[in-house]
Amino acid sequence: MSLVHLQGSWTPWLGRLTLSVILYHNGIVDGAFVFAAVTGIVILGVITYYRKWGYLIREWITSLDHKKIGVMYILIGLVMMFRGFIDALMIRTQQMMADGPDSPGHLQALHGYLPPYHFDQIYSSHGTIMILFAVTPILVGLMNLIVPLQIGARDMAFPYLNAVSLWLTAAGAGLVMASLFIGDFSHAGWIGLIPLTELPYSPGVGVDYWMWAIQIGSVGTTLGTVNLIATIVKMRAPGMTWFRMPIFTWTALSTNIIGLTAFPVLGVALALLGCDRYLGTHFYTAGLGGNLMLFTDLFWIWGHPEVYFLVLPAFGIISEIIPTFSERPLFGYITMVAATFAIAGISWSVWLHHFFTMGAGPDVNGFFSVATMLVGIPTGVKVFNWAFTLYRGRLRFDTPMLWAVGAVFLLLVGGLTGMMLAIPPINYTIHNSVFVVAHFHCMVLVVAFSIFGAIAYWFPKVFGFRLDEHNGKRVFACFSLGTFLVFAAMFALGFMGMTRRLDYLADPHWKPLLIVEEIGVFFYCVACYYFFRMLHVSIRDRAKNRVGADAWGTGRSPEWIARSPVPFYNFAATPHFNALDEAAWRRGQGLSDVAPRDYEPIATPKNTIAPPLIGALAFGFGFGMVWRIWWMAGLSLIAIIGVVILRSFATETEHVISAEQIRSMETTGSSVGIVTDHISPPVAEAEAFL
Amino acid sequence: MSGAQPVLWLPGGEEHDPIANKTFGFWLYMMSDALIFAALFAAYGVLDHRFNAAGGATARQVAHPVDAFWQTLAVFASVLAYSLAMVKLKAGSRLGVLLGLGAAALLGLVFIGLEIADFASLIGQGITPERSGFLSMFFVLVAVHGLHMLFGLLWIAVMMAQVALKGFTTEVVTRLLTLRLFWTFQASIWVCVFVFVYLRGAF
Amino acid sequence: MAPLGLGGCSIRQFPLFDPAGPISGAELRFTIIDVVVVLCIILPTTVAICLFMWRYRRSRNAAYDATWSRSIPFEIAMWGIPLAIVALLAYFSLQGTFEVNPYEPGALAHRAAGRRALTINVIATDWQWLFVYPKQHIAMVDDLVIPAGRDIRFRLTSTSVVNDFYIPQLIGMIDVMPGMRTKDITRVRRRGTYEGFSADLSGAGFSWMRFPTHVVSAAAFRDFVAKIQAKHGNLTYARFERLARPTINLDEKPAFFPAVAPHLFGRIVAAALHGKTYTTPEHLTAHMAENARHHAPYLEQAVNRH
Ligand code: HEA
Ligand code: HEA
Ligand code: CUA
Ligand SMILES: [Cu+2]
Repeated sequence: MSLVHLQGSWTPWLGRLTLSVILYHNGIVDGAFVFAAVTGIVILGVITYYRKWGYLIREWITSLDHKKIGVMYILIGLVMMFRGFIDALMIRTQQMMADGPDSPGHLQALHGYLPPYHFDQIYSSHGTIMILFAVTPILVGLMNLIVPLQIGARDMAFPYLNAVSLWLTAAGAGLVMASLFIGDFSHAGWIGLIPLTELPYSPGVGVDYWMWAIQIGSVGTTLGTVNLIATIVKMRAPGMTWFRMPIFTWTALSTNIIGLTAFPVLGVALALLGCDRYLGTHFYTAGLGGNLMLFTDLFWIWGHPEVYFLVLPAFGIISEIIPTFSERPLFGYITMVAATFAIAGISWSVWLHHFFTMGAGPDVNGFFSVATMLVGIPTGVKVFNWAFTLYRGRLRFDTPMLWAVGAVFLLLVGGLTGMMLAIPPINYTIHNSVFVVAHFHCMVLVVAFSIFGAIAYWFPKVFGFRLDEHNGKRVFACFSLGTFLVFAAMFALGFMGMTRRLDYLADPHWKPLLIVEEIGVFFYCVACYYFFRMLHVSIRDRAKNRVGADAWGTGRSPEWIARSPVPFYNFAATPHFNALDEAAWRRGQGLSDVAPRDYEPIATPKNTIAPPLIGALAFGFGFGMVWRIWWMAGLSLIAIIGVVILRSFATETEHVISAEQIRSMETTGSSVGIVTDHISPPVAEAEAFL
Repeated sequence: MSGAQPVLWLPGGEEHDPIANKTFGFWLYMMSDALIFAALFAAYGVLDHRFNAAGGATARQVAHPVDAFWQTLAVFASVLAYSLAMVKLKAGSRLGVLLGLGAAALLGLVFIGLEIADFASLIGQGITPERSGFLSMFFVLVAVHGLHMLFGLLWIAVMMAQVALKGFTTEVVTRLLTLRLFWTFQASIWVCVFVFVYLRGAF
Repeated sequence: MAPLGLGGCSIRQFPLFDPAGPISGAELRFTIIDVVVVLCIILPTTVAICLFMWRYRRSRNAAYDATWSRSIPFEIAMWGIPLAIVALLAYFSLQGTFEVNPYEPGALAHRAAGRRALTINVIATDWQWLFVYPKQHIAMVDDLVIPAGRDIRFRLTSTSVVNDFYIPQLIGMIDVMPGMRTKDITRVRRRGTYEGFSADLSGAGFSWMRFPTHVVSAAAFRDFVAKIQAKHGNLTYARFERLARPTINLDEKPAFFPAVAPHLFGRIVAAALHGKTYTTPEHLTAHMAENARHHAPYLEQAVNRH
């Protein structure tokens, strides 16, 4: 029984899975498959050769330490970003090749090298991956790493839940990756255009992959928002009053409030689509009483807040970096906080601007247009605050600062174009054109720039040494040049009437600009090369780049009073906060080096295998649902519930380190960072539970 | 800062009250759950229209407020039973708590049973979720609440085992308190379903 | 501006800057107003940031102030100035929204002298455009002919998924949705041929959903209608159902029908509401190239047989 009439075959044991979906006869897919398989085998081989499996499982996979979880989030995000970039490369190459009726076709395509259905999957996965499995996890990872340090906490409020969130996100990302090899991905855009995603128009498993990947990943994200809000509200150290909170923590709070309230709506939107596809209901069908606008509304009620979910932490990062490298306090701290919450508040009432062309009356469109433009006010406040922070500063342009300033310029361009899109008479001419694509890439690249800035900025805090500046600046230069070439050309193409999501471009006049974009993508490739080189050189020369607690010498917020690399217990004694910008204040008072006098025992959570197990089972559940292998989905779900219940019976989930141990670790130093050569104390104790 | 050395470090570990943290976290989780229902209710509002019934059954024909009233009674009695269990918790009586939880679970089962019977009779009359947009919405909204109730029942069962096996450890007590929140919350959602779907539909 | 230069900055290549009617003209006017207003604040901000970055870089040893971090007047201005700009923008936005409102555009407030509006029914299928002229009883696929100087009323619907109807130089975008109808109205001054297309992804054949729009004189339009009416073939409902099956019109070949089943538009909307779908076969999605080739000739046969 396969519940709803499906095209193609279905068997109880394998569902819709047949051999032919794996052996897809397409050069591109085969190439990708071989590449990924070889990379995978090499990585597994290296781990096995150096006998690192035990280390990986003990120190990382089962870890509940917020820093390790943060680092794993960021790693997953970066790998997915790389995958998203490969997609972007393929998009750009196809569009450059398939321009004009005379353009040749290769492989199975009439023009370019990708047939439409395959091309559609590529930008759909690009958008889905970049937004939900690259940028979101990286930001969540950064918040995980930094927020507890900024408020003087020892860990997140719920370390175990934190790990569950991570592994659910990983399961979602895993599903997207699996779709590359087994079956296809959605061809209906990252926003799942309705009714294109309904069974009659998307008969394959692509939409199911999209739906379940997002659904599972976003359960993880929602749980993560609960955790971060609880952490910020409940775990602040003494003296950390609301208005001493660093601005990044403020943005984390506001962004997680957005996330907590928005992601459930996405869940509902997707679940109802799932009912349509799996049970034959009529929520979003055109006929039999369905309402396809319902999906569009629900999706964007999440989708618009989601973009501010991304950009607010990015604003927080910029607000941390600029003061550090200007050697001045952030201008207008209170207005900055107010602006943050104003943006979060308005974000809820603007979603309709994504479909002005749906034919709503001028009053409705007018209302949402004005609501949208209101966001420009608090965003402007932020930009002006940064400008006044630069004013009369002593500016140093280290890599983090370069990324931060670059992000501000992108924000100005993205804001100008966003304001244009927000005006219906203009929107009617450029909606769904590549102008929109260029607008939002400016904005999401604000986020990407901030992320690269944040990685450079906080890397020494976490690992104890700085990233190589020389190569870091090269990454910045190539990345910025690539961005400029690709997206400046794209704005122009928007005015030339180029629609987005085209696999074949009818107008041969666009060729020169398409070539400019391809050159831009080439510079992105160079940026990637320097990125890997930067990592390599930094790790090789790490001894040269070691830093103390205050890695940049002008750090202001409290994370800079913790040791670098941060020991697994964060602070040997609970810090007491005396001022906004505690690190700067202590430096000003000459108190930077005052160490705690007494120590007391510290309890840290023991490692556990349950969260990665839950993640693996969630993957199994998603995979079973996608292919309609009911037994697999059912068993996985039961197993997840079983693991959760079993874990709730576990006792002694904490490990206590004595004051003596802490004293000795504090005085001998080095070996307690997050990458160590020997087993760290909480892990040694946890062996039993594994 | 006249002379007095500012306090920089406090030696003790922070005193975070685990029960308060968990309860707060659970409130946040319920906030997200409330939004799931808010979205569903909004969708119901959109699809509860003659046009969306597409010629099939309308709210008037599927919403039986009297039957649903029995469900309402069951769910409230269940919450009451749970509250009694909490009274026994203060007294530290394991047996009392177990009995209270058992009664709450039983009444919850009655609720689910009534709901299943209601669905079965509708489906028997050919009123199925596949028939129209409105019916899809009706069944899914009610069933999502039902699933929450089922989840709650499972949780009650687990808690009964934990109370029996572990006694009143901090963790068990925390969970009993959060479960109580959850159970009361589901009851209040049911009130919304009752009013919005059953009463509004029938009149 | 470099990429603009490379594009060979001729206005012909920027249809959005070359409107041929009052609607698209109004749209361009509002684009310019908005950009100018927003630039009034974005440009000074950009310049200020660049200036500060240059002036206060460390190596220059300019004035340094380690503490200044608040100033009530500055902060009030920070909120006030953008607020004023947004108020101005809001004014223009509302004005513009009414001006190009697809149902009753202010820009077309004066009736076109003495002539009644021409109604055209637009039906998007997977993946072609069908234009029905109900008064003239003719229909055509992937080709649109309209008279200049007269109001053109479009009524739009779709058989399967959502598309977006757009002719950049003539009319703003409007969604085309199954089971629903939208309306749009325009008037064209300048004769010529303008490119129209779908602007919203609708599946595999989406990139080929293009149609030329010929704007001709009133007399030429009459001739054209007469010429089509003289042809053979009738677009019956059954015939339409064959046409609406997923088809990519790869060669952008137009088709013409001199007679159309009565109330075709209404029947299509009603069918969609009753759950009629034109299913995309799975094999079409898997092996696009071959199948696109298989399907296109089917269309030609269907059209040319009559
Ligand atoms: C966060 C979101 C995000 C980001 C960062 C990007 C980044 C990029 N995007 Fe994308 N894009 C989207 C979100 C994003 N995009 C969305 C939502 C869509 C719409 C999809 C739809 O239509 O449905 C889209 C669509 C889209 C299209 C449109 C296709 C069309 O509709 O016609 C194009 C075309 O050029 C494109 C290109 C690019 C390029 C060149 C980049 C470049 O900026 C990429 C640069 C990235 C790198 C150079 C990688 C760097 C990575 C590392 C350094 C990590 C490596 C490290 C390790 C592995 C450890 N994107
Ligand atoms: C991080 C992501 C991000 C951010 C921050 C924004 C910010 C904004 N966006 Fe964007 N947007 C997206 C990501 C983002 N957007 C995505 C992904 C899509 C498309 C999705 C898809 O269809 O696939 C989209 C699409 C999109 C549309 C729909 C386009 C269409 O499909 O037709 C609109 C229309 O109103 C819009 C508007 C805006 C506005 C007004 C802002 C404002 O917040 C901008 C505010 C900033 C400034 C204005 C600059 C700084 C301010 C000053 C210097 C002060 C003075 C200025 C004034 C007073 C004007 N965006
Ligand atoms: Cu019909 Cu939107
Ligand atoms: Cu938006």
